[in-house]
Amino acid sequence: MKLKPRILTIALCLGLAACGSEEGSPPAAGTETEIPPESEVVETGSEPAAEIEPEVAMEDSPETPPAEPAGTVEEDDPPAEVAGAAGNGETVKVGVLHSLSGTMAISETSLRDVLLFAFDEINANGGVMGRMIEPVVVDGASDWPLFAERARGLLEQDQVSVVFGCWTSVSRKFVLPVFEELDGLLFYPVQYEGEEMSPNIFYTAEAVNQQAIPAVDYMLEQGMEKFYLLGSDYVYPRTTNLVLMEYLLSKGVPLENIGGGFDRDEAGNITSAGKYTPFGHTDYQQIVAEIQQFAAGGNTCIINTLNGDTNVPFFREYAAAGMTSDTCPVVSFSISEDEFRGLPARQLVGQLGCWTYFMSLNTPANQQFVENFMNWLAGTEVAGIEKENRVTCSPMVLSYNGVYLWKKAVEAAGTFDTQPVLEQLRNGISFDGPGGTVTTQENHHLTKNVYIGETLPNGQFRVIRTFDQVYGEPFLLGTFAGGGEEEAGAVEEDAAE
Amino acid sequence: MPSRFLIRTLLALTLACFTKQAGGQQGGHVIVGEPEPTELPQPGGMIQPPANAREVVIEALMSTDPAEQAALVRSLLGSGDPDAVGLLTAWREGYIYYHDDFEGDRFPVRFDGEADGVGRRNVVRLDNGEPVPGVGGQPMRATENQLELAFTDSRLRQAMRSVTDMAALVADNHNRRLAAVRGIALEQNPDKIEALELRLPLEPSRQIQREIEVAIAMSQLRLPEREIKLAACRELERLTPIPARDTLRSLAREAETDGDDELAAAATDALAAIERHITRVNAAGTVFRGLSSGSILLIAAIGLAITFGLMGVINMAHGELIAVGAYTAYIVQCVFQSGLRLSPFGYSVAIPGFNASEGWFQAYFLFAIPLSFLVAALVGLAIERTIIRHLYRRPLESLLATWGLSLVLQQLFRLVFGASNVQVESPVWLSGNWTVYGVMFGWNRVFVIGFALLIILVTYLFLNRTRFGLLVRAVVQNRQMAACMGVRTERVNMITFAFGSGLAGLAGAFLSQIGNVGPSLGQSYLIDSFMTVVVGGVGKLIGTVISAFSIGMADQSLQQILLNPVLGKILVLLAIILFLQFRPKGLFTTQNRSLEE
Repeated sequence: MKLKPRILTIALCLGLAACGSEEGSPPAAGTETEIPPESEVVETGSEPAAEIEPEVAMEDSPETPPAEPAGTVEEDDPPAEVAGAAGNGETVKVGVLHSLSGTMAISETSLRDVLLFAFDEINANGGVMGRMIEPVVVDGASDWPLFAERARGLLEQDQVSVVFGCWTSVSRKFVLPVFEELDGLLFYPVQYEGEEMSPNIFYTAEAVNQQAIPAVDYMLEQGMEKFYLLGSDYVYPRTTNLVLMEYLLSKGVPLENIGGGFDRDEAGNITSAGKYTPFGHTDYQQIVAEIQQFAAGGNTCIINTLNGDTNVPFFREYAAAGMTSDTCPVVSFSISEDEFRGLPARQLVGQLGCWTYFMSLNTPANQQFVENFMNWLAGTEVAGIEKENRVTCSPMVLSYNGVYLWKKAVEAAGTFDTQPVLEQLRNGISFDGPGGTVTTQENHHLTKNVYIGETLPNGQFRVIRTFDQVYGEPFLLGTFAGGGEEEAGAVEEDAAE
Repeated sequence: MPSRFLIRTLLALTLACFTKQAGGQQGGHVIVGEPEPTELPQPGGMIQPPANAREVVIEALMSTDPAEQAALVRSLLGSGDPDAVGLLTAWREGYIYYHDDFEGDRFPVRFDGEADGVGRRNVVRLDNGEPVPGVGGQPMRATENQLELAFTDSRLRQAMRSVTDMAALVADNHNRRLAAVRGIALEQNPDKIEALELRLPLEPSRQIQREIEVAIAMSQLRLPEREIKLAACRELERLTPIPARDTLRSLAREAETDGDDELAAAATDALAAIERHITRVNAAGTVFRGLSSGSILLIAAIGLAITFGLMGVINMAHGELIAVGAYTAYIVQCVFQSGLRLSPFGYSVAIPGFNASEGWFQAYFLFAIPLSFLVAALVGLAIERTIIRHLYRRPLESLLATWGLSLVLQQLFRLVFGASNVQVESPVWLSGNWTVYGVMFGWNRVFVIGFALLIILVTYLFLNRTRFGLLVRAVVQNRQMAACMGVRTERVNMITFAFGSGLAGLAGAFLSQIGNVGPSLGQSYLIDSFMTVVVGGVGKLIGTVISAFSIGMADQSLQQILLNPVLGKILVLLAIILFLQFRPKGLFTTQNRSLEE
């Protein structure tokens, strides 16, 4: 038997596979000097493998568009020195920490793109305090401990002034201690569950009262009486739904009209409300049947915090059951224009979304932003950027806003140091972004407009309601008056349903 | 034709009762907001055209207050103007737009005539149907994007339905009538009882008759008279409609606080009857859902039952063969639409589409099924010839090689189709459902169950009733002996593997109708497939069938009982582990050559 070719075949297969399997980003990604496949091994160790960090990070920097004077930045300069010198021709290092591979790559690469766009835009207009932004892009690879390692690398080795990044709440929770320990600054752009306010993180994201609560208000206004809570099984949906439950109870919606089931602790207090399915769940038959019975009496809506592609089997089952946006509308919090690229938009027509930005916003600022971004996409030479069928969405715009807010804060503070910049941010800095004016708040969140949109067949939203300048409030659990403990007890038997 | 005559009579009758009811409206029923007095027909009057629906609709369109809009629309309920339904439907479905003319006047318009090359059509005023003057006095032409669409929110749509449902009561189409009656039932508007009672004896469909009875009873619950409420409760106890649950619950509570024990008891009894009905519905639904889950497992696993079960190849690339089938369905769909542009390895490949008409497009799936089989079978053939052929006696190496292959294929899908999922639309005939006494049978699920059974039948016949099937069984039982008898075992292996791969492709085509189509599609089904085949007993098709349905049933029953999608699955997996402890060879055991070695 010819042994050799066989072994070769196997080796070839495995080798190719190893290169390929973790590569989330599209075509040209293979040529990109991203994370070498070996770094997969690094991820599993809980020890931050500091020795290889510098290499990895430096391998990434060639990806950055502006030519860098490699010699000068390589020096081991402490941040204070960097901050003090506002000389010409110097650069300021800025970290971009997103998953460019793995399951989250589909969403997060868009944020990397828009960040690079914002840096280029700022650099073309003279940079920040005369210094060009030099992005250091690292890949979190959808691996939460790796996010922490990368964050440490960015702060310790690259000495970046600020980091823009993270998508999932888990990744944020992992990097949080690193930023607090090393006194870094992170801008976090994606809607999240609140109940957090790190002194070193600035949340440009939608807080629950800037997305879920306005959406529920709108549904109440539309005469909805029953609410079914459905979400993916992780921290954001669970916390959001708990807040929503309290909010609904405070609005006089009885517990029996909140669907999806409840978990209780020994004392009978509700610890979780709503129905949760794991990532990648495909079988929604039973859940849809349950919703159908729950919604049979009319005036029912579904509050959907399902993430990513699990929405597809859910909406297919929902449509097959004969439900429509007229009989039982769905408000989704995790489906933006960007996610629509992978969803059958036709099946979602008429369903609602709530964000602080929509691509369809009919304002000159937004049109200019979309046009500039599309032009930048067409012209960019950064490897691995998808150019076809691109859209803009709320997390992208919040990332973009974050860059400009940071720029303004730096200019106001006159330094790149973390604390003075944060001080300026806390004092309130406004920026007229594509989604309207945003203003930073004392509590590290943003005041911004909230929009409710209805899905169109082309995957865009038509804005049907605007809430102007909503104050971002992260701590909501237990704050709603008339919260439901006593009510919860009264309708105990119904809650089982 | 007699039916047409009947319908005309009905229409007249309904119109007559529209007017009566309008009188009632004046009498005391509260409507939100105060419509113009002139719009309301006079009490006791005959059919009155002056309630000019067009004017009211236009007034509603021009109003900026959502509550007023809804009230105006609702005021049309009493008018006998046939315009109302058409206009409201046009509004709801997005055919009405606004236009601001040069003088700054704003008025609603609609499109008229054929679209020209760039999609522009004539714009005409909604009020008088006259063309809107455009630049230079020419009739204005515009595309849909140039005008502002008249928007409806869900409150307004409800008001519209309230009006259009009454007209749809006499529609020709069975489903439209059904939907209308159900809508009226949920609305619980006592003013509509009379019209429903008039319609009831004339309704040809037994099913809709029942729904009308439900609608009457539910609306009667809103009447002030206690006796009527009591009777309605009894009626609902008999009919057990699930939608009545919420109203009955609040009625029972109200009656209890009012101290009306009899009414409370009647409502509670009705509720209990409905709950019993729901239990039955859930039981039947669980059986159906179990069957459908089982069918999906079966379809996904049947290919593996052949390649792994019969041939003994631990084929880790089975999932990717499923994905090949799913992507084939996607390509076929695109070809039926406007084609598809792929850019693998930096080359740009355009596959032309022939922009099939809607009817043809709906049929794309029928073409996708055999093509998925063929393409996956060809891929399977290639895999067999290049890799698996060399590894028949080495299960471990074949595991490694096929695992590597599966990763290669996944990456290939990423390169060709992109990392994100692709959209495969379900044909209309697969997205409806059929509801019998509250149990819902989704067409896609029924189709999958039917097809699973068909695939089993075909596979069974292929293996047991054809000459080639005989050869396959001979090779499976004893390859050397078969070879000695002159069977070309290489060829048999090749074709068997291709057949198994083809079945995996078929599975992909079906799974594209249920879940996501993306590069990692195969991964999510691979484990389930292996589980099904191993539990069933490697080497026995019947074992795969029974294990698929048992796993499906167990999973769905546990979900129904525990009301938790995750816990059920965990328990099923635990049960499988236990089961395999005691019967490591699965449900059905056979003497199997390759794994024994």
